[in-house]
Amino acid sequence: MMRSADRSDLQQDIARFYYREARLLDERRFLTWLDLLAPEIVYRIPARHNYVGENSARNTEQYHSLAHELSPPEEAPIRRDNLALLTVRAQRALAPQAWSDNPPPRTRRMISNIEPDPDADPGAGSKGDLRVYSNFLLSFSHHSADNHLYTGQRRDVLRPQERGFLIVERTIILDWNVITAPTLALFF
Amino acid sequence: MKPLPPLVNQDASFVSRRVFTDGDVYRREQQRIFARSWLYLAHESELKEKGDFVTGFLGETPVIAARGQDGAIHVSVNSCTHRGLPVCRAERGHAARFICPYHNWTYALDGRLLAVPQQALTHTQIDKGALGLRRVTRVESYRGLVFASLDDGIQPLDQYLGNMRFYLDNYFDRFPGGVQVIGPPHKWRIAANWKLPVENQLGDVGHGPFLHGFIMRNNSATTEINEFGLNVVPEPGHGAAIRLFPEGTDSETVMWGSENGSARMFSAETQAYLREVQDQLAGRLGPVHARIKGLTFGVYPNFSFLWANSVIRVSHPRAPGQVDYWSWWVVPADAPPAVKCELQSLYNASFGPAGLFEQDDSEAWSQQYLGSAIEQLDDQPYFYGLGLGEEQPHPLLPGKVGTSFNEHYARAFYLRWKRDIESAGDDARPDGEAR
Repeated sequence: MMRSADRSDLQQDIARFYYREARLLDERRFLTWLDLLAPEIVYRIPARHNYVGENSARNTEQYHSLAHELSPPEEAPIRRDNLALLTVRAQRALAPQAWSDNPPPRTRRMISNIEPDPDADPGAGSKGDLRVYSNFLLSFSHHSADNHLYTGQRRDVLRPQERGFLIVERTIILDWNVITAPTLALFF
Repeated sequence: MKPLPPLVNQDASFVSRRVFTDGDVYRREQQRIFARSWLYLAHESELKEKGDFVTGFLGETPVIAARGQDGAIHVSVNSCTHRGLPVCRAERGHAARFICPYHNWTYALDGRLLAVPQQALTHTQIDKGALGLRRVTRVESYRGLVFASLDDGIQPLDQYLGNMRFYLDNYFDRFPGGVQVIGPPHKWRIAANWKLPVENQLGDVGHGPFLHGFIMRNNSATTEINEFGLNVVPEPGHGAAIRLFPEGTDSETVMWGSENGSARMFSAETQAYLREVQDQLAGRLGPVHARIKGLTFGVYPNFSFLWANSVIRVSHPRAPGQVDYWSWWVVPADAPPAVKCELQSLYNASFGPAGLFEQDDSEAWSQQYLGSAIEQLDDQPYFYGLGLGEEQPHPLLPGKVGTSFNEHYARAFYLRWKRDIESAGDDARPDGEAR
């Protein structure tokens, strides 16, 4: 078990890492942001469906478990990026012939509800990896008055480094069924 | 309705901006196109067992497609005959019956009204036979693709597709075990007119190297399109953009799954699977099919298919400047699970709401709507005349065939569209209400 002082330090370290990450993305420093990713990163956005609850689970928390809504692995998720694809996305966003990013949208990322779970099992082969939940509110403004708000949760696996962390996994849980914002090709 | 201003000229080389923005045009489209065409709804692989259902739309009309106890696919309008609430709230599932949450009126999978809970308490005689969900009586499939029509008198689907069947076969009959459509679809809303996505995928190959310049400049797809690309109008309103390789081209180049070197990034198992499918294709579908590498297909009015990316799309109109775009991933049903998993990248790296291509398309379609809404430019219709008159019959391919950048796919679409919206509407018929 961690002492509460250690927990508080950890919380601070993760928050500092996330704030810097958000600032890099809002400043469109996408190539610098790539340095925060582990080589084996998996970056996912599952689809989120309207489903019928299993009658056998009625009156239990299982009845409306979030897991029923999220697309299972055999379905195509909205996004499943590896480092190569994230790199293409980062390079594309800085290229002139990438017209949905030129002129670029103005973004502002608010990261909150940071909740490291140091006791959770991060999975096989982990190198002190941590599971961390956080919420985001992302304001997206494009052209003159095309303004949108994104909300969601991030479920990360972070690997502690001498300074900061590497993102080993990120799963983004969006709060939409029909996506009403212009694109999900952003970095959340 | 008031008479419409001229919208499409005689050969459709000019199309008015109002076609995309006018409210009267939009209403006419609902009545004269979406109520009278075959519209894609689901794939048979989504409705395997009795009781399986999906919900969808025929234009703006919400419907349920369900496999009934009789084994047939039934389509009903998803609105209770008592107070109008949807009787099914999920995108897919398995059910024995549909129950309206308001007063629990209960319907069978085929839409028949089964029970009205308070009927006995009120001693009311109810003609249940007349109070079922509105049935969509015309439901037909082609190669597993289920289409439905709100028009009881529409021609059979086979006839409606005509020469388009040849091109649909190229994908939907390609795999020995058939295809499997993985639903529910991804859904996103675009501030655009529904026809822009349709037009784009009927055969607008020309925007590729420009709008998608970062990806498509100097890649092998662009080279192949320049060298072997053809733009086919199988029937007016339908479209098929393809590459037709010379006889003797190696399997690796032509095969499905091999786009811009993508196949080389797959595991040996996936590569072997893709090659085997290609090597059997000439025997299975004929030698011409084995030389075809598809790009985009379209079925009038709003079904599209991206061949290389293996994804079905439907453009659902919501308002002149609003479309709900739905996108279903398709896989070869008999591919091993690991192969299917790898094939996901053909779809969602490029298309879907986060796709590298899609992000530029969606934005361009929204920008086109803004341009179309400029009233002062009513006298400046859009030019659709590239390649006018260049299209010809072809010795190997059914339909009219032009070079890749010939815009005849759009001209044929808008001529059919014009004929449809100018046809007599229900409002012009004395028995209009009874239809």
